[in-house]
Amino acid sequence: MSEVALSSRGSDGKSSQVQGGERRLTPLRRWIADAPAAYLLLLPVLVLFAFAVVYPLIQTVILSFWDIKGLGKPKFYGLGNFVALAQDANFRQAVTTTLLWTVSTTVISVGAGWAIALLCSLAPRQTLIPRVMIFAAFGVSEAVTGYVWLQVYRGNATGLINAILNATGLGAFAHPWLGDSQTAIWCAIIAYSWAQTGLPLLVIYAATQAVSRNVIEAAYVDGASAMAIMRYIIAPLSMPGVRVAIFINLLGSLRAFDTIYVLTGGGPVRSTETIGYFMFRESFTQFKLGYGAAATLVLLAAVLLVSIPAIIQRTKVTT
Amino acid sequence: MIAKSPRWVPYAAWLLSIIWIVPLIGIVVTSVRPQGDTIMGWWRLDHIELTLDAWIRVWGKFKLADGFWVTLQLAGIATIGTMLLTPAAAYAFQFLKFPFRRTLLIIIINAFVLPAQVIVIPLFTLWRQMGLIDNILSVLIPYVGLSFAWSVYLVKNFLEDFPKELVEAAKIDGCGPITTFFQVVLPNSLSSIFAVGILQFLFCWNSLLIPLLFMRSELPLPVIFAQISGQYDANWDLQAVAAIVTTSVPLLVFLIFQRQFAGGSLATSGSKE
Repeated sequence: MSEVALSSRGSDGKSSQVQGGERRLTPLRRWIADAPAAYLLLLPVLVLFAFAVVYPLIQTVILSFWDIKGLGKPKFYGLGNFVALAQDANFRQAVTTTLLWTVSTTVISVGAGWAIALLCSLAPRQTLIPRVMIFAAFGVSEAVTGYVWLQVYRGNATGLINAILNATGLGAFAHPWLGDSQTAIWCAIIAYSWAQTGLPLLVIYAATQAVSRNVIEAAYVDGASAMAIMRYIIAPLSMPGVRVAIFINLLGSLRAFDTIYVLTGGGPVRSTETIGYFMFRESFTQFKLGYGAAATLVLLAAVLLVSIPAIIQRTKVTT
Repeated sequence: MIAKSPRWVPYAAWLLSIIWIVPLIGIVVTSVRPQGDTIMGWWRLDHIELTLDAWIRVWGKFKLADGFWVTLQLAGIATIGTMLLTPAAAYAFQFLKFPFRRTLLIIIINAFVLPAQVIVIPLFTLWRQMGLIDNILSVLIPYVGLSFAWSVYLVKNFLEDFPKELVEAAKIDGCGPITTFFQVVLPNSLSSIFAVGILQFLFCWNSLLIPLLFMRSELPLPVIFAQISGQYDANWDLQAVAAIVTTSVPLLVFLIFQRQFAGGSLATSGSKE
């Protein structure tokens, strides 16, 4: 695509020579001919991007080598923050929680989205409203998602789950779901996955609808049932959508903050703190800025790790 | 589908989706029942009485009206900023030649993977030194600056399919690069700019972490709401109204512009095949 754009620029130069209106440009001149205009157009973007991304990114790396507590004088600390992180039981727990959280929310939301997309692709027209309803959960603010599920998990009989358990004679299983560090993380995982399912549903459903009518018709003429068409044609051909959905969900859950902040506040006993929440707590409630910066670099490393394929692809198609 | 699909499919989809939104129904029902009833559980049928009491009292109890206005301002300004600045950059990257073009482009479009957590600590110290804490700029600059990572990519992607002949014709007619942008490219790429605007509006309206850290007095709705939901008062009817107020605008925008949202969010995640 972009190669076409490039070559068109080449012929562009030629056509202006034919017109004779412009003087001949040497390769270097042609290379920088647009530069003043280009930088003028780019200037606001570059300045704001430098402020919001480049400077903070570099500064985060620098801060991670310093010991900064509150308004006290910063001390150079070398790799001390990273050593301290490795020895901090709370941080090790945050890493474990992040792994569990990221993998589970992605598996649940992409799995559910995929299943619902395949189901709906069997009857596209009659399932429009159900699809929109499930998709709507994805449009709810993440902070509000946390609150909505707070009502479901409430510990006493006024929580929806406990009420259902009591009503069905399973009252013995009623539980303070958010008050128990064993169950709280799963409460958060389910709430977040519930909200996120809409996107995989949309992406994968779109992939199923992109399957060529001819292929399906041919299979139908050959006597394939709806379920066989689903199993052998639509499901395999929806895989590109699944891959995209997995990537989006991994990235989203690594940076998740709002739902956890409202639903559990990281508790009980820090059992629902992911790294993205841990850094907030260390830097903005304990004011250990250098320590928090070191933790965010660990988060950044995880983000880069899952993004490598996307970054390579983006860089390759960009010219 | 050509083959006859099983008859249970629509029923299963309806059942599932209704169960799916039960938690949301709960919030809506809670907001229109008397406070005493909500404490017993919003699903109780033994005493049915609907009231708009909570919808009336909530404005005096919480600063939701102020928050609504602040959120509208922040999201609105950030959205306009991104919509105004992105097309020029995308045009320059797509149609102009200049030194460091490829390097700058690769850095900007790959920054979309950065979580907000990575930038907030240095920005916090920077804003404190500059006295910008509690100034709307402290929130607007990261909102707009971070958006370029995906918005430039999205608009540039759109411009790749833009008819080159138009740009060349403008050049032959004597238009400079900037005139070409304003006269030819910009008027014809409004659909992609609009998609960028919708995404940016949703992101900014729902943003919690950045205003939570940088704003003190004029708080947007998600921050106010997070404080409200952390209270232990059993004013669940009021909290439910606050939840609906907080999320109603983005939810409506999201549902109305689903199509643009879908196209935009896919392009921003680098999935254009």
